Amino acid sequence: MTLDRRRLVIRAAGLTVGGIASVRLLPEEMLLRDRRAPRSRVAVLSAEQYSDRLVELLLAGLGEFHLDLGAKSVLLKPNLVEYIAGVEVNTNPLLVGAAAEAFLKLGAKRVVVGEGPGHQRDTYLVLAESGLEAQLGSQRISFVDLNRDELCKVPTRATYTGLDHLWLPRTVLASDFIVSMPKIKTHHWAGVTLSMKNMFGIVPGMKYGWPKNVLHWKGIHRSILDICATAPVHFVIADGVIAMEGNGPLHGTHRHLGKIVLADDPVAADFTCARLMGLDPNRVWHLNRAAHFLGNGSNHRIDLIGEALPPRAIPFNVLPEFAHLQTR
Amino acid sequence: MRIVRVISKLLEALSGNQRPTGTWGYRRCRAYQDSVESTCLAMLALCRQPGIELGRAVHALQGLQNADGSWPAFTGDEAEGCWTTALAVLSLIARRHATKSMTLGIQWLIDARGREANWLWRLKLSTLDNKVQFDPAKFGWSWVSGTTSWVIPTAFSIISLRQARQHGFNRTAELAERVTMGSNMLFDRMCPGGGWNSGNGIAFGMPVAPHIDATSIAMLALTGHEADRRVQSSLHWLLNRLPGCPSPYSLAWGVLALSAHRGIIPEVGEGLPGIAEQLTRLIENSVGIGDNCTLAVSALALEAINGENVFEVRT
Repeated sequence: MTLDRRRLVIRAAGLTVGGIASVRLLPEEMLLRDRRAPRSRVAVLSAEQYSDRLVELLLAGLGEFHLDLGAKSVLLKPNLVEYIAGVEVNTNPLLVGAAAEAFLKLGAKRVVVGEGPGHQRDTYLVLAESGLEAQLGSQRISFVDLNRDELCKVPTRATYTGLDHLWLPRTVLASDFIVSMPKIKTHHWAGVTLSMKNMFGIVPGMKYGWPKNVLHWKGIHRSILDICATAPVHFVIADGVIAMEGNGPLHGTHRHLGKIVLADDPVAADFTCARLMGLDPNRVWHLNRAAHFLGNGSNHRIDLIGEALPPRAIPFNVLPEFAHLQTR
Repeated sequence: MRIVRVISKLLEALSGNQRPTGTWGYRRCRAYQDSVESTCLAMLALCRQPGIELGRAVHALQGLQNADGSWPAFTGDEAEGCWTTALAVLSLIARRHATKSMTLGIQWLIDARGREANWLWRLKLSTLDNKVQFDPAKFGWSWVSGTTSWVIPTAFSIISLRQARQHGFNRTAELAERVTMGSNMLFDRMCPGGGWNSGNGIAFGMPVAPHIDATSIAMLALTGHEADRRVQSSLHWLLNRLPGCPSPYSLAWGVLALSAHRGIIPEVGEGLPGIAEQLTRLIENSVGIGDNCTLAVSALALEAINGENVFEVRT
């Protein structure tokens, strides 16, 4: 009897240790709820340049998605990093303005634009120098500095960083429809910066600093997954009219891609953008993981409702450490 | 007279934005949390104004202090302490009364250090993780505990500790040591050609452009180093960058830095009046500045033109 009890205790301990070890070793996404839609839709639109005609183009593209925006508040989250004269670093103001106008025409109750730049503490300076302030002012669209908004403590809905909560801006949490509007660029830490990486900008500097160094220490890819799982992106409008290759996100060189990518799934959007860049999305760590639980990456689950992808894309130049991303 | 009128308008707006709790949020109109940064800058702007009672603000600020002497960033924030501690200490020093709260805050600043102060991290950053060019042996202060040193938290901490020493609140060797180490860190992280951005001058082999506010705050921390050519080149960068700057916040920090260094190089004395005029015009023409930090820093900058610079440390 004593022996049996001892065996029982040893087996229970073994099971506990084994269980914990398995949970620790299993990929995190296996323990997360699968939130992927059965299918995702992506539209690739051609736009040779930034112009006033972007509104018509977006309206035509958005029309294909049959979005129900009635009485919804829309938050546009462009990529506004830094102003460097002559360099297309940020989501183009004309595209942001066109998106605002298009969503209002489609019945949105309200459209606001929000961003929390990672390094530049003077958000207004980047807003003004980038030309976005003038653009939004002419359309009477409000801008919210997400680095200094009212903050709410939100439990994280993924476990990649180990943080059990994130402080997020109320403007983000109160929006019915969040649109990530990245600039298609290479990134010296993450490989690419697309709609998911763009969501780093909703994390408030007033809590996490400039840059949001806490999250860098937790791992950029891991942080991207936790942020995107916690504050879901409802739609993507990616600016690839003039993209950036090489040492992005600031010091790369222009690449005229002539494309705008619309999608109802950020993972599908980023997979498509990466393919347009001639890069393998499955080799970008956060995209690969996201495609297991957050959205669709597989071609078989993405409906391309605009143009087809070019059969062969000339790969974007990348830093040597990201050479493995290039498709040959 | 015109500057006095503008200052008075700014301070009136700032007083009106004080919350019933005695603190300030980042913005005026919405139910924002108490922000330690906004509260401290507002207190610094209002502390020398006759007839303004800041007792409620001081009480509220002390009420936000963590048990270890640090301050959080806002109400409800975790109690791990952050960069705002330097500003809180600075605004208590401005009242010139030694308090337990201030002493605890000063000691926390002396003890706090960037992650690279740990030899293991230093080894990693100098061998494996060296895409960003900096010397991890030179460390300062971080935005949030457990992360690396950055320019603005380090510059504010240096200003606070130097003022604590100047006013006799702490004259220990360890304080002097931290100030020296912090100043060395700032010089190490300077951008090629002068000025500072949030953290590093060179990343992935490319020089990174300086920012106005980081450069200005670093320049305020480095008063007394004017003979150093790196300080002079940063002053020149600032003088060239400020004209045409559309943001009152950055412009105000620029005016504060230039005011603290006027008389050091002739160009500063010549350029300052024009830049101050630019700031005054921006404030006069703005429909209403909704951000309390900008209101406070603008008021402090215009006062600095008349010689009252709360961030200046006289050596």
